[in-house]
Amino acid sequence: MSVLIDAASRVLIYGIAGNFGRFSARDLASYGTKVVAGVAPGRDTRDVEGVPVFQDARAACTTTGANVALVYVPAPAALDAVLEALDAGCKVIVYPGDGLPVQDAVELRAAARRHHAVLIGPNTPGVISPGKSKLGFMPSFCYTPGPLGVISRSGSLSYEAAWRLTTAGLGQTTVIGIGGDPVKGLNAAEALELLHADHETRAILYLGEIGGSDEYAVARYAERPDAKPAAAMIVGAAAPPGKKMGHAAALVESQADSQAAKVEALRKAGVHVADNLRDLVDTAQRAFRQREAVTS
Amino acid sequence: MLMMEHAGKCLLKAHGVPVPAGVLIRKSGHVQRWRGAYPVALKAQVSSGGRGKAGGVVRADDAVQAESAAQQLFEREFGGENPASLLMEPWVEHSRELYLSVTVDGQSGGYVILYAPSGGVDVEHQAPHKYTFGSPRDFRAHEFRSVLAPIEQDGALRERIVALARRLLFVATAIDAVTVEINPLAVLPDGKLLALDAKIVRDESAAFRHTDVAHEIERARKREPRMVAKALAGNLMMVGLDGEVGLMSGGAGMTMAAMDMIADAGLKPACFLDCSSNPTPAGYQLAFDVLDAEPKVKAILVSIFGGGTHIDRVAKVMNEIMIKRKSRKPVVFRMNGTGREKADAVMRDAGLHNHPTLESAVDAVVAVVRTQ
Repeated sequence: MSVLIDAASRVLIYGIAGNFGRFSARDLASYGTKVVAGVAPGRDTRDVEGVPVFQDARAACTTTGANVALVYVPAPAALDAVLEALDAGCKVIVYPGDGLPVQDAVELRAAARRHHAVLIGPNTPGVISPGKSKLGFMPSFCYTPGPLGVISRSGSLSYEAAWRLTTAGLGQTTVIGIGGDPVKGLNAAEALELLHADHETRAILYLGEIGGSDEYAVARYAERPDAKPAAAMIVGAAAPPGKKMGHAAALVESQADSQAAKVEALRKAGVHVADNLRDLVDTAQRAFRQREAVTS
Repeated sequence: MLMMEHAGKCLLKAHGVPVPAGVLIRKSGHVQRWRGAYPVALKAQVSSGGRGKAGGVVRADDAVQAESAAQQLFEREFGGENPASLLMEPWVEHSRELYLSVTVDGQSGGYVILYAPSGGVDVEHQAPHKYTFGSPRDFRAHEFRSVLAPIEQDGALRERIVALARRLLFVATAIDAVTVEINPLAVLPDGKLLALDAKIVRDESAAFRHTDVAHEIERARKREPRMVAKALAGNLMMVGLDGEVGLMSGGAGMTMAAMDMIADAGLKPACFLDCSSNPTPAGYQLAFDVLDAEPKVKAILVSIFGGGTHIDRVAKVMNEIMIKRKSRKPVVFRMNGTGREKADAVMRDAGLHNHPTLESAVDAVVAVVRTQ
């Protein structure tokens, strides 16, 4: 099993006529993901990489049965494009773009909830269930099927981590990029619930950073008696306070925002925390050994 | 982006929120222009918190007192910041100080209203009451009223707070503010409310629909050190960090991971420089120009794990830049991600070494810096 997407997912790419859209149409298809429709309002493009292109999402979903969407539009157009995909009936929507106004993120999170759908993003590479389906632009070779569920605030760090895990033979059920913004469609607490309910996910790796409170949600999860073994790595130890480190939410404004405070809270909750990338794989393996010690 | 108190109050006033009628003072002599009555409050316009406790708000009973108080405030520092201006307002007699704010809460993923029955400088000692509702359209006055009911028995006051909360929420959405905080919110002898302070934080991501925010970002960029200002002008994400390793990276998480690894190896990164916002030949060229020109930078580490950024294209650009580049600062490469086979071939043909792991690249850059 996997969460959010699987081999049956039918993908709509909103903004398929742009560079990212065209690349993803090819890239997803070569991963075996069914890309069934594209949307490019105002363009007279009929098809991209053999995928039919529609003027609006509702026509695309009705005609092709698309049920998940990958939305490539710039931030000023994101609110309307994601709302359109929700209204058209897409149940999982990835919005990878960054620079989305916080107010629009709040609106989209609420709208997704009303539609009983899940928004992933903003500011994310998307989600991948290795060997089954891919809804995003992460480099496929970094991933392999296996028992580890991964949640990451950072795209680049998730590729690096997955590539190390894959190289070490530690595969993944689903890797979810929750994104680097303060208001997220799917947040860490909700992503944890999904992986917790997935019986193939036997341990969870969380990749976090300074700022925000998602790391404390991971600590609260790990304190539950029925929690799956968890490992984590938190970047930003070398970041000075008061400076935004690229991501809108990666900012140390208080002690609780710091890498040290988050690592302490996670360790106290029983999470295996890597000091840096050098011991990431070892740390994830320790989480697995913990599980075997408990179940045997 | 934090607005200064006076700018925040102008915005509140424009949206019908009562504020004292003040004037902005840029020199202590300007207090003579005050046409209102005394006593007055002189308030240092600084962005650091805890201004009240630090003595940044002074009462003056006449013009002589006001001028000497102003002079002293201009000479003082608040959190390392010299006030460029003072706000001069009538001193307001009031019976109570409340705390009221609208802010975005990342944990619940939406807006919340925070209320504390005793505001002012010590508000942090008590946890405020929180009304969580998410989307602005899901704010319900009756729900907030029931949050207030056990705290405020005076029905008329309660209604004024509810109405003001609604107004602040309107302001927050209209101007894309992630925080609109009034502390203290004064209760006047006649029961009306008056905003004695204003802390408004605008959402920089919404600059595309607010020209005033766009202009303020532009002005803030120009205040940065030259190296950082140049990078930001070219749409690169840069924060100066004062170390010796010029880190050129892609993606916030990997940039921080590389910074941490450099720090763990005993050196300091010179910057957080994320090129993923402009992964073009011009963007990478600018990144090299900036790092090559900075004397503190002893060596450059290019660390990119590309997803949306195709690293075979980056490798070609790096090769072109290396051919033309005049600087002799050592450059260590570690690139992986989408298009890595082609990238490896490009690097090999160009005679450039691409490190297989971040560890070996960091170790290599640390070694070259140490031998200099």
